[in-house]
Parts: sequence; C-alpha cells; structure tokens
Amino acid sequence: MPLIDMPEFSGELLEEFERRRTVRVNTPVIQPAEPFLDMAGEDLRRRIFLTESETGASLCLRPEFTIPVCLRHIETATGTPKRYSYLGEVFRQRREGAHEFYQAGIEDLGEADIASADARAIADAFGILSRLLPSRPLTVTLGDQAVFEAVVKALGLPLGWQKRLIHAFGDMAHLEALLERLARPQPVAGLDPEIALLLASGNEDELVARIDSTMQATGYSTNASRSPLEIARRLREKRTLAQTQLDGGALLLLREFLTLRLPLSQASAALAGFADAAGLKLGPAIAQFDARVAALSVIGVDLSAMTYRAAFGRPLDYYTGLVFEVTEEGGSAVLAGGGRFDRLLTLLGAKDRIPAVGFALWLDRIETAREAQ
Amino acid sequence: MTLTIALPSKGRIKDGTVEIFERAGLGITSIGNDRSYRGRLEGVDGVEIAYLSASEIARELAAETVDFGVTGEDLVREGMPGVDEKVEFCARLGFGQADVVVAVPEIWLDVETMADLGDVAADFRARHGRRLAIATKYWRLTQQFFSRQHGIQLYRIVESLGATEGAPAAGQADIIVDITSTGSTLKANHLKVLTDGVILKSEACLVRARKPEHNADPRVEQIVRAVRAVTGGSDG
Repeated sequence: MPLIDMPEFSGELLEEFERRRTVRVNTPVIQPAEPFLDMAGEDLRRRIFLTESETGASLCLRPEFTIPVCLRHIETATGTPKRYSYLGEVFRQRREGAHEFYQAGIEDLGEADIASADARAIADAFGILSRLLPSRPLTVTLGDQAVFEAVVKALGLPLGWQKRLIHAFGDMAHLEALLERLARPQPVAGLDPEIALLLASGNEDELVARIDSTMQATGYSTNASRSPLEIARRLREKRTLAQTQLDGGALLLLREFLTLRLPLSQASAALAGFADAAGLKLGPAIAQFDARVAALSVIGVDLSAMTYRAAFGRPLDYYTGLVFEVTEEGGSAVLAGGGRFDRLLTLLGAKDRIPAVGFALWLDRIETAREAQ
Repeated sequence: MTLTIALPSKGRIKDGTVEIFERAGLGITSIGNDRSYRGRLEGVDGVEIAYLSASEIARELAAETVDFGVTGEDLVREGMPGVDEKVEFCARLGFGQADVVVAVPEIWLDVETMADLGDVAADFRARHGRRLAIATKYWRLTQQFFSRQHGIQLYRIVESLGATEGAPAAGQADIIVDITSTGSTLKANHLKVLTDGVILKSEACLVRARKPEHNADPRVEQIVRAVRAVTGGSDG
C-alpha cells in the first residue's frame, strides 16, 4: 500500500462511524509533545517523532488520537455527551512495521451510564472488525482496573500499599516485586539516628523544623518542590509501610486473583465466588462489572467470544476501569485496543470530571489480516 | 583494507590509552607533527589512528566509519540503541572509572531507594501539579533504568548539558542522573546517591564495531589479544 493512500476499506469504516452516530473530527498532525510525555511517561519519547519549534517548544508528530481528540474537546467546550470518531495517520518509531500508519477509532466522552458506554465501546470495536474481517473468528480479552483496586482495598492494606499495587497493575514484573516485598518486609535503613529518634517520638513539628533549617542552610528552600512537611509525613508513612506484612493467606488470595482467566459469561459468578470464599467485600466494583456484562447481553454481543483476564491492565494512571483488546482467534496482533479513562480529561485540564471510554483500530494490522484471507 | 581506531583527541583517556597500547606492543606515532589528528599503529600494518572528540567516538562506532574506538562505556551505551548487537566491548582498560547514578537531594530523608523514588513519583503530580523532573544528559540510560528495571513511568526528563548537579537547588529539576567518579561534586551540592541507584559502572573500554569483514581479518584478533594481555585479559 503506498502510504499516501487511505486504506481501501476506509469507506466502510466511515460508514460504520456514521451509522454508530459519531461526529468525525480531525486534529493537526503536528502536536505539542508535552501532553503525550506527561500522560504516557518518558518511555514514549523514544517511540515518537520529536521536533522543536523555532522558539524551542517541543513538538511531535501525532502518535495517537485520544489525547488530541480530548484536548480539542476541552478547547471547543461544546458540552457532553459526545461521541467522536477519527481516521488518520499516526507516527511512531517502531522496530517492525512502517513508521507512519493509519488508525481509526471512537472516543465516547461524558456518557454517565458507565456500563452501557463500556458495552457500546466493545460492541462498536467488535462490530466494525467483524465487518472488515467477515467470517473470521475474533476474540476479545477484557480486564478491569476497578475490580483489582477493590480486591486490594478489601485486603485491608494501608493506603500507601494500595497505591503502590494499583499503580503497578498491568506490569506483572513490577507487581511481583511488590508482592515479594509485602511477603518479606525490610526495616527502614540508612536513617540518621537523631532523625530516627525524632520520628519515633512522634514530634512532627520538631522534625519539620529540623528539615526546614537544613534546607535553608543548604540552599534548597528557595526552589524546593517537596516541602519539609511533605518529607516528614512520607518518612513516617514509609516507616509504617515498611512494617506492613501481608500474611501468607492474603498473598495467596492476591496471586490467585491475578491468575483468574475465564469466559466472560462465567466471570461474574467466578468473581462472586472468589469474593465469598476469600471473605472480601468487593461491592460496587463487582456490581459495575456485572452491569457491563448485562449491558453487553442487552446489545446482543456474543459473550462466548470474550475472555476476562484479571491481571490485564495498563500501568498508566489515567485508566480507571475497563480495558480490552480484540485479536483474531489464535492470533497475537492486537487489531483494536481500548478502555475507560475517566481521569484523562481532568489531567489534561478539563474543569469538570468527564467520564470517557474509547478504542483505536490498528488499520495496518487489519489490512495484513485482510490480505491473509 | 585500512583499519581505523578512534581515540579521544585529548585528556586522561587519551594518555591512558597511549600508555596501554605501548605496553601491548602497539606504539602510536603521529602522522606529520605532534598536534596532528591522525596517527599510525606500529607493529601492525595498515592501522590508522583517528583522534576524535570523546562524544563523537560512540557515534562513529554506530555508523561503522571506524573499526575500533576507545571511550567511556557510558557514552557508548547512551549513544546507540541495541548497543550489544552493534558493538563488542573487547577490553576494559582500568581507567576513566565513573558511575552513572541516580541522585536526590540529601534532605529527602524519606528517599533511599528506587522504590522510594517510585512512591514519590507516583504521587508527584497530585501534590505538585507536574511530574517529577529529572535533569540529565543520559536520556536513554535513564529511561531504561527507570521504566524497564524499576517500573517507574511517571517522570519527565529535563535536558541538562552541564552543571547538572546544580539543577535541583536551582529548581530546574527535582533529581538528577549524572556521572560521578569521587562523589565530591554531588556532596558539595547536597545530593546523595540512592542505595540501588547505580545505573552503570563505567570505565574506558576498547570497543569494536561489529563489522562482518572483521571475521576474516587477523589484525582485528591481534589488536584485541594484545590489549587484553595487558589489561588482565578480561573482556566486556
């Protein structure tokens, strides 16, 4: 395919977007780089094409559409709910495959009925792919950040530990390392004996004053990002967290949960069973999960093509609930990926909290799959 | 075919290399006068020396415009992706030692390890309205260490080409990733290295670009063997 051409099935895609009542939007190819690096982290830097404006502002070639579409939504302030669709080129440095390729997708912003919006995003991705790849069996893998968060909370860990685990969700190696630390707590080391004494005495004011005077003396006060109080409080929290030990039973439960992988139609019962057997109250997260499954049934999606994998998540702090991927049955290429990102719009500067769910279609991979037909 | 060895044009690494090469029976003579940037290796036919600035040597190795180079491991690892496929670290020369480290303000009494830093980074945006900022010239090493080895994603790199140790007190960044040999500059700027914050223990290395034609060239093996013989025989 010459790169200047749109994929040959673009017409069908645009038809689908219209039929699914979306507003098609475009965004500039050249984008400010800050929001992408800020949201996705520095690791993205080596995977995007960066350049600079004459005045030194960092710019990049659009590496994806979600952030530009959300920024545009915030700027135009046209209110919610909105269903946006896009189709255009994105640019990434990849070891394999072209550096410029097409993506299309839908971003559903501001729909208050979370379960229905989630179900619709999955159904849209699945439905569009089924049309582009007729009579090819597809599978959906689904995860849920909120269910994991509920399990971690229900285990009764201190807030700091909950945050650590939740933050690592989706990164199995990091999560394993944390579980290892929870199994074998290490005392806080390397602390100045005087500070340790102050800490033990619980005299926060004095500790803060001590930190403050050192900061003054060493010239760190003027521009300090972390205040003496913040440092003192975290020091105390760290000591508490270091003493936290998760007993073997709770660790086993967490590990057992992370290995859950089953057909979506059985997932609600399995999660309820797990919660019961473990004596954990998972409450609203499970209710939300069940409501989503019910909403999928109402739309008439075939649940048998869907698998719930408890450990499936994305280690970025703006994902809040559903995550999903569509592949060909037995295939590994992700044809569509999506999820719920209720925190993203606020992080990007929206004044109100705007719930959001969406997905992106990898048109180059879809094209390869069509050619293999 | 001429083999080219790139050496730093001045400084400690140049002097140390000339000395090691001499002990290895590979004396270096200048072409023309003493201040020339070209030289020749005695004892092996058709080997030229090109004197380059230290930071260019990694680049020329990656581009395969030179066959060997002597430079700090930090510059090579920072300078090219997929480094071990592109070059071979033939010998560690025992000088130019310096560590690439993660250092934070001493007064961050609660931060001793990368795990502590991960906690602080995760919360940073909520507390300060921006991500944790790291001043460094080692973009690649920092990303690899933070993202891949420690699962820390949420931070921003602020490019710093010099006087990096001053960045935290000046408010340009919160912490730094920089090279240190004695630690005295860090100390003078009230910074401390995290207990598991050593990213790389670097020193001057003889580095070979992995060119296919080297396999059939006995001079390549001869040079590597001679240098290893006087540096304790260890390879990279």
